[in-house]
Formats: sequence, C-alpha cells, structure tokens
Amino acid sequence: MKQIRHLWQSWRRREDSDARPQASLRSQVVMLDLDIVPNDPLVLYFQTSPGVVDVERLEIDSPVLDSLRAAGVKLVVPLVSQGELIGMINLGPRLSEQDYSTDDRKLLSDLATQAAPAVRVAQLARQQQAEARERERMEQELRVARLIQQTLLPHELPNLPGYEIATYYRPAREVGGDFYDFLYFEDGQVGLIIGDVTDKGVPAALVMATTRTLLRAAAERMTYPSPVLERVNELLYPDIPQRMFVTCLYALLDPASGRLRYANAGHDLPYRRHSSGVDELRATGMPLGLMPGMKYEEKEVILSKGDLVLFHSDGLVEAHNSAGDMFGFPRLQETMGQQPGDDTSSVIEFLLGELASFAGDDWEQEDDVTLVSLRRGVTKEVDKEPQVDERPAVESRNRDLWQRDWQVIAEFELPSEPGNERKAMEEVANRVQDMEISATRMEKLKTAVAEATMNAMEHGNKYRAEIPVHIQVMTVDGALGVRITDRGASQPIPEAELPDLEAKLAGMQSPRGWGLFLIENMVDELNVLTDDVHHTVELIMHLQKEGE
Amino acid sequence: MPQSQVKMDVRKVTPQASVIDIEGDVTAFSENVLMDAYTDASSDGANSIILNFSNLDYMNSSGIGLLVTLLIRAQRQGQSLLAYGLSDHYRQIFELTRLNEAISCYAGEADAVAAASNGR
Repeated sequence: MKQIRHLWQSWRRREDSDARPQASLRSQVVMLDLDIVPNDPLVLYFQTSPGVVDVERLEIDSPVLDSLRAAGVKLVVPLVSQGELIGMINLGPRLSEQDYSTDDRKLLSDLATQAAPAVRVAQLARQQQAEARERERMEQELRVARLIQQTLLPHELPNLPGYEIATYYRPAREVGGDFYDFLYFEDGQVGLIIGDVTDKGVPAALVMATTRTLLRAAAERMTYPSPVLERVNELLYPDIPQRMFVTCLYALLDPASGRLRYANAGHDLPYRRHSSGVDELRATGMPLGLMPGMKYEEKEVILSKGDLVLFHSDGLVEAHNSAGDMFGFPRLQETMGQQPGDDTSSVIEFLLGELASFAGDDWEQEDDVTLVSLRRGVTKEVDKEPQVDERPAVESRNRDLWQRDWQVIAEFELPSEPGNERKAMEEVANRVQDMEISATRMEKLKTAVAEATMNAMEHGNKYRAEIPVHIQVMTVDGALGVRITDRGASQPIPEAELPDLEAKLAGMQSPRGWGLFLIENMVDELNVLTDDVHHTVELIMHLQKEGE
Repeated sequence: MPQSQVKMDVRKVTPQASVIDIEGDVTAFSENVLMDAYTDASSDGANSIILNFSNLDYMNSSGIGLLVTLLIRAQRQGQSLLAYGLSDHYRQIFELTRLNEAISCYAGEADAVAAASNGR
C-alpha cells in the first residue's frame, strides 16, 4: 500500500511560559513521520473537503487524527494536488494563545493552494531522479551481463574436416542465459554443448559462467555425456540460487565414425535431418541444479554423410507473432525438412528467414535465440587417414566396435536386487524374439545376459537396490549387442582365474567363479568399457554362425 | 526373490540309487533345498544320486558352483552323481565346465538308473 510521507510542521510553545515572551516563546518546527494508510477516513475527508481543518472539531474515527491530536495539532491544512493528498501543513496553538482568526485561515488556505502544486513538482522531480538512477543501474547490469556472456561464448568454430558447423546467437534486449560451447579432446572427439539458464541479467550470466566451467571440468575427466551431466548437476545443485536451473544438452561427436553420443538435461530436443526425414534426438533427464542424484539417459546416433543436426534454444520455438501464435516445434521440424540448401549456414539463414516472416517486422524478441548446426558433408572428406578411435578410458578388446553403426532397439533399467538377472534375461529375450536368431544362440545370449547382469548387480552396484543396472539392446546388420552398465567403475571385477573343475574338486579353487567364464563362452565378443563412473560389459552375438 | 524358486523331490529308484527331481531354478538360493534333498537321498545308504533336470527352468553360475560343492560332498562320501534330462543348452554348459566328466549325463531316467546299477 502506498504510504504518504507528509510534512509535519507546527509551532509549539516551550514549557517555561513564565519567562519573558521574546526569550521563552520560540517558534519550533517539528518534522514527524506518520504512516498513513490510504484508506484512513481522514485522508478521504481531506481529499473531498479541501481547506483549513480544525482538528478539535472534527468527529472522525481515524488513527491519524488521534496521532495529530496527541501531538498537539490544532489546525491542519491539507495539500491536495489533482485530487490526491500529497502533504499536510499542521499547526499547533498560536504563540499568542489566541484562536486562529478568519484571516489566518484564509492566508493558510491560499498558501496551501499555492504550495500544493510546487510540492507535487518537487516530489515528481525527486521520483524521476530515483528512476533515472535505477535505469542507469540496470543499464550497467545489462552491460555486465552482456560482457560475461560474450566473453564466454566460443570465438571460433571447430575446424572439423568433413563437417560443417555454424552458429547463431542473438541475445534479447534483456540478456538471457543462453550459451553454447565446443570442447576438443585429444582423441579427436568434439563436445558440443548448448544450454539455457532460467532467469535473466547478471544472475543468469553468472550461473551460466559457473555451469560452463563445471561442464568443461567434468568433460575433461569423464568420457561419456551422461556422467558429465550427472557430475555437473551434483556440483551445481547446492550452489545455484533457488528457483534457478539450467537446461543443457551435451553431445559428443566422433568425427571419424560420425557417432554422436548425447545426454540431455531438460533442454529442447535437437533435430536431425537425414535422408528419410527430420526427427528428434530424444534422451531424458532433468535440468541441472533442480534436484540432486539425477540420472541422465544417454543415446547415440550415427551421422551419415549429408545428415544435419540442429541444436537450438527456446528463443526460436517460443517466439510469438503479433497475433500471439508461437513459432513452435512442428514449424521448426517442418522448416528444416523444407530447406533446400546444402550447407549448414544456409539452414540457419533459412530458419531465421522463416522466423522473420512468421514474427513480422515489429517483432519484439522476448528471449535469446541460439542455434548451432552440425552437418556431415557429402563431399569427399579432406581427412588424411581414418582416425583410430582411441578412447583413453576405454579398454576394449575390439576397437572396431566403436566404428559400428549400432542402433539401439531397447533400453531399460533394473534395481540391483538378487534375482533380477532373470528379469534382465527375459526382457532381452523379449526384445529380440523377432530377430532371426537360432534357439541355441538365444539360450546362450540369455545366459550371458543373466551372468553379466548378476556381476553388475553384485560386484558393480553391491546389490544396492537404488542403483540400477542399465541395459541397452542394440543391433547392427547381422549382429546383436547388449550393453550392461553398472556404477562400479572404481571396483573392476577382478580378472577371475580360469575355473578348473579338478582344482575345485581338490579344494584348490572356490567352487564358485564360473560367471565370466560362462559369458566369454556364450557370446562371440565380450568387451569391457569403463569410465569414471560406469562399468559396461558389451556382449555381441552374431545372428547366424556357420555350421549351425 | 531371495527365497528359492525350486522344488526338489527325492525318489528311491533302486536300493542303491535315489533320484532328485529338480523343478525350477538352480541358483545360489537353491543351496538349502539341494543340500536337504541330498541328505534325504543319501539317508538309506544310496551310493548313486541321480539328478533329474527335466524340469529345470534356469541355472546360473552360482548354481554350477552349487553342483561343484555337491560333487565334492558326494565324492567324500564315496557316492557318484549322475544326471539326466538336461536341455541342449545346459548340456553344453556341462561340457564347457567339464562338469560332464564328473557327473555322467544321460538322456533319460532308465539309462541313468541302468548306469547306476552297473556300478558306474
């Protein structure tokens, strides 16, 4: 509620009235702050009945009036400007101890009429100065936010033979928290990050700067996108201001194979345009900084020559035209499909053209617009020699593996509870039942999946039910793959000694320890992949085997 | 499911041989059931214990470990272990682990009982 600060002026007589008048009677000005609520009956009275008011004769039930009386006020001269009470001149008893005369009242009333507009002008001037200072402060903040943002966005595009990358970034007037980043790894892989911080201005820019640093640090230490987002979420959560969070997509491109692995923390889904259309690259995960202990789904696609992926922030799809319609995801998807051009910068230009014609000339940009496009070129790659995919943190017995265009056909998780290996086995069998795999090989696959899941639950996750085992079922022509991932990277399964029945019967080996031996003998390939967090066993089974 | 998903019934088929009919899963959780059945099957002085796997649903590496333990106990008692009714898949696993060298496998109960009677 608006509270009126008002003038409080009164001439009061000093206590020692016995002294000589010149010495004892002094005029005294007292300023008093009163909180006056706008609906105080006295305020209404002043607004409707201007003129000098005799406080003692007034019969209104008003807290303000009570305060005035208590302070010894005899007359009040309200200052009203354009129907609004902007101040009051309050007078105590006359020094002569006589009543105020009619002339006095007229003089005061005239004074009020003159003073009210002048006081109003002074008030407005002061208010304007305050607003100007506030504007200046905000402009300054805006400059700081822009500076942070512009300093942290990449200044150069990745130079990737065989690929074209283009970016577009246009901040809204009130700078938002969009960002993108490129990370380069020694093995030739390139990380692409796009994100959006809720909120605007300096707070958003600071959170963006922090998130960017955390992402860079985590990506340096961990191989896969999913654990990187997990780690950043854990670090960001305790520090991020309440109600703020960051959506972010992290994709890791292996230029040699075209494999793009990605995990998504609640960011708008990228679109992939390939020979048969435009589809979304989906992976689930909550935004960063909202809740601790979040998991991020990881997916991968292989970019064929000519394929294009568009990463974008919500500024484009949430743009409104003057009719209040939103640009929207379907329009974006459709536009990408229509674009005739053949290079990445033209896709961005095409989209911006579409946005301009949708939003109209008088479009007021509400949010940052950020676009990053990645396209695998069709021209002969300038690449000198095929890059060997050497992932330092991956020990794989078969490096070819990473070159395969695996297609994930199923993905699920199971709590690490004794007995759940049967569920894993049955689930995998279910998902592959339509494939042309012989009954014998199916049985072998089931046993291998069950054993690997049991190892994952027991050795990796220590049978902690809340830590799930993640299972991916994949295909590539002629083969089936199952990846079983636990979170026991720090405790690798000890390389079991080859089980030997005689040694066991003679008590020289534990009767147990058959798991890994069984797995190795059930499938055609067994690969072990680890990163900082995860331990993955990859089982590969050819659909048909000669001689069967 | 930390309780066992298995049922084992013991049948005396000859004075010297008992059959344990296994129905369900042979996993780590089957240990008590299997050892009880073994004790039961051995109580009358049988020197051959025949494992009937015809109704086996699932056996994992822990279950194989369990059979090794059983084998050690049986050998100490001077008993022989025989098996029949294994599916192709589990028969192959027996071969891989060479369990088939210590537990003779037969196609059906008659063969197994005959082998047991021949003092194998």
